[in-house]
Amino acid sequence: MRPEKDDGFATWRLLSALPGVVFPALPARDAAEALAVLDQLAASQWLPAEALREKQHLQLERVLAHAYETVPYYRARWGRPADVSRFAELPLLGKEDLRGRFEDLGSRAVPADHGAVHASSTSGSTGVPVRVQKTAFVDRLWNAFTLRDHLWHGRDLREKLFVVRNRTPGLAQAPERAQNWGPATAALCATGEALLLGTETELGALLGRIAEERPGYLLAYPLVVAELARLSLAKGERLQGLREVRTYGERLDPEVRELCRRAWGAKLTDHYSTVELGYLALQCPEHEHYHVQAEGVLLEVLDDAGKPCAPGVPGRVVVTSLHNFAMPLIRYELGDFAELGEPCPCGRGLPVLKRINGRTHATLVTRGGERYWPYFGWVGILDVAPLLQHQFIQKRYDLIEAHIVTAGRLPAEQEEALRRHLLERLPAGMRVELVYRERIEVPPGGKLQQFFSEVA
Amino acid sequence: MNTPWTCLSAMPGVAWPAVPAFDQTYALALLFQFERTQWLPAAELRRRADAQLEALLGFAYDTVPYYRQAWGRRPVPAQLAELPLLARSDLQSHSPELFSHDPARGHGAMHEVRTSGSVGAPVLVMKSALQGILWRALTLRDHRWHRRDMARALAVIRRGAGSGTAANWGSATEGVVQTGPLAVHDVDRDADELLDWLKPHRPGYLLTYPSLAAELARRSLERGERLAGLLQVRTLGESLDEETRALCRDAWGVGIADVYSSEEVGYIALQCPEHEHYHVQAESLLVEILNERGEACRPGETGKMVVTDLHNFAMPLVRYDIGDYAEVGEPCPCGRGLPVLKRIAGRVRNMLVTPQGRRLWPTLGLRKQTEVPKVRQYQFVQKALDLIEARMVVSEPLTPKEEEFLRQRICSRLPEGIRVVFSYLPAIPRGAGGKYEEFLSEVALR
Repeated sequence: MRPEKDDGFATWRLLSALPGVVFPALPARDAAEALAVLDQLAASQWLPAEALREKQHLQLERVLAHAYETVPYYRARWGRPADVSRFAELPLLGKEDLRGRFEDLGSRAVPADHGAVHASSTSGSTGVPVRVQKTAFVDRLWNAFTLRDHLWHGRDLREKLFVVRNRTPGLAQAPERAQNWGPATAALCATGEALLLGTETELGALLGRIAEERPGYLLAYPLVVAELARLSLAKGERLQGLREVRTYGERLDPEVRELCRRAWGAKLTDHYSTVELGYLALQCPEHEHYHVQAEGVLLEVLDDAGKPCAPGVPGRVVVTSLHNFAMPLIRYELGDFAELGEPCPCGRGLPVLKRINGRTHATLVTRGGERYWPYFGWVGILDVAPLLQHQFIQKRYDLIEAHIVTAGRLPAEQEEALRRHLLERLPAGMRVELVYRERIEVPPGGKLQQFFSEVA
Repeated sequence: MNTPWTCLSAMPGVAWPAVPAFDQTYALALLFQFERTQWLPAAELRRRADAQLEALLGFAYDTVPYYRQAWGRRPVPAQLAELPLLARSDLQSHSPELFSHDPARGHGAMHEVRTSGSVGAPVLVMKSALQGILWRALTLRDHRWHRRDMARALAVIRRGAGSGTAANWGSATEGVVQTGPLAVHDVDRDADELLDWLKPHRPGYLLTYPSLAAELARRSLERGERLAGLLQVRTLGESLDEETRALCRDAWGVGIADVYSSEEVGYIALQCPEHEHYHVQAESLLVEILNERGEACRPGETGKMVVTDLHNFAMPLVRYDIGDYAEVGEPCPCGRGLPVLKRIAGRVRNMLVTPQGRRLWPTLGLRKQTEVPKVRQYQFVQKALDLIEARMVVSEPLTPKEEEFLRQRICSRLPEGIRVVFSYLPAIPRGAGGKYEEFLSEVALR
């Protein structure tokens, strides 16, 4: 198979910036750069793991040198220049460092060619905001990886894209419409329309809007997707023309994939990204696991002793940005847990992330210190009891509170069945208490977690 | 999978993925597109090329006095076949009227290219930097198609190339891809000297004219030497025959990748990565193969080649009669939608005109190894409708018996009624452009 043959490129209506030239396109400089990078990514993905690591180290060497020479924080913390051979000994950088030492983490000599420096911030899933500085070049690379994701999944860029995400409060309920899918494509090619609607939209109205617009692609948090799919199934309505559901931003419960297939006959594609570093991993074009975007980021999975975890063993995600010369993030601990996988049968040498287990605060911790990432299911659980909303919280090592919103109090046997459903998915020795709530607030960022731990 | 390239970065602090300088970035951006456009179905490729053609035709009509007068209306792509052909002689006599009086902005600095003029006066073509960018991207495509190991040395033997070495293969790869070294030499030495020059460079690739490749291969065989490490011979500039391919296989165990290009419009067709025929570089130009009535030839038919450079906005060349003939091929089994040229038959001056007035390309090639070891070089020149001069360079005089054997051998491949006379020369000089032509007709050009 030739990947270039089926990567959806035929649907790219490239914009040429040169007068008189429409084919082949000679796009504006930044867009041309994205294509030049994509051409390299098309080859580098197939490099054997070892060759890929060599290339990665070439770039790592440069960002380490830049960090030591121009960033006060690293100069002080490392004490001496760092090189690739010493990389694993370098101290980790925590979110609290990023917040507390923001000024010291900025480079004093950002190369002019990397473009304007700007700050990006996120509310953070724990509600504590994180801010980071980036260059225009970092954004352009982000765009290139977005395009890789489109190519990997053979997207038809002429289709309509419907995006559901948190919006600035106070905006109108009507969807925002754009003539282009977004920054990755704007200067490069004409695309179908994009529609943006906030997560605060009532679910029924949201589903109605999506059905009306007939998008080819739906981009939303897994939880929103799960809710929409459940509603679609309940109403027995399909979303005509929907080809693919794209998710990001939260741990993906495998059940959501099945829900999308059942509700809409659409495949689901997930990706793993953060505001601080951009794309960390994209879903493999042929499998449900992820490929680390090794051309942009060096990702480690470490155990409690700071040693690399073997494939299949969950550990802390520690990442290094290879191209952020405004605020180099070296061995930055994201607060996520993940598992590496065995090499992918697709043939790509890019490292495999088998599972993204979730955030630290979504980790169930036992008294003995063992960690679990329980799945409770989004659909199965509704067969047990008619829940409008729910959230499970570990309050103590042995206690889970099941916060539920229902139309009325559940019959005793349903309460019991719900308890049993949860206990079957929890380690031994836990108790479950039901707590009836009027409503569960969706936090800023629009991500309602099904489970979190106050103990972790 | 392609052999991975190490791209060269101009961005401070960034080695990988590389961000090359401006023009080189464009070459990679084009290459990215070419990797995909090649798989588009032929009709879709043509549709896209037509969009470009439309822009070109409008521009040519609006800003080029020659076309404004010759066409009388602003043509659309569907009317291309109705437009008059542009002959080489038009280029010679109307050169300034073919320049755009309002060249497109952003296409880069303009420069003149004077063709070497294998026959007759040279022609002048005005180009912009954009042609250079496309040329670079198509060269890179050729490397990628043939999966070249860019780390190996490249040896080039061309007329006017001078002699020397460089750290990079040349201007197509410089600043884009890291390569092995380059060694260049002019054609001004005999095969023995060139072989001696080649060997120490241990080239992975040898780029030269087919006739010279054949000479070198023959000499290698005679000397019983191989060129260690050679992976492929790249040829250009003359029509390539089966014998030359066979010689390179025999001598060095390598295949040939041929390109068909011209000074006026750059690359026209590259050899398919999987076959010995050629793919028209349809992203860069439109190629028509026309029969004697000016209609498009079907697969299997040979006709006159007419090209339209889609991106020359300095001096648009629309339906330029480039003076070559080619055979149209069936769609390629490799799956590429790029049109196929089965054979580049040759130029008008390489056509034999029979006493009955038919025109054809004779195949008079001698298997020198086996048939006439004394003949070192030869050339056939048609002097009149019924007369061919066989020019021979021999290591020692031919016996009357050998001469007679050759005469019969040659006549057996010619139509009836043509006489052969022998002449003996110390050497057969290459024509302008360094090209060697096995058959030349002084009649065809009249």
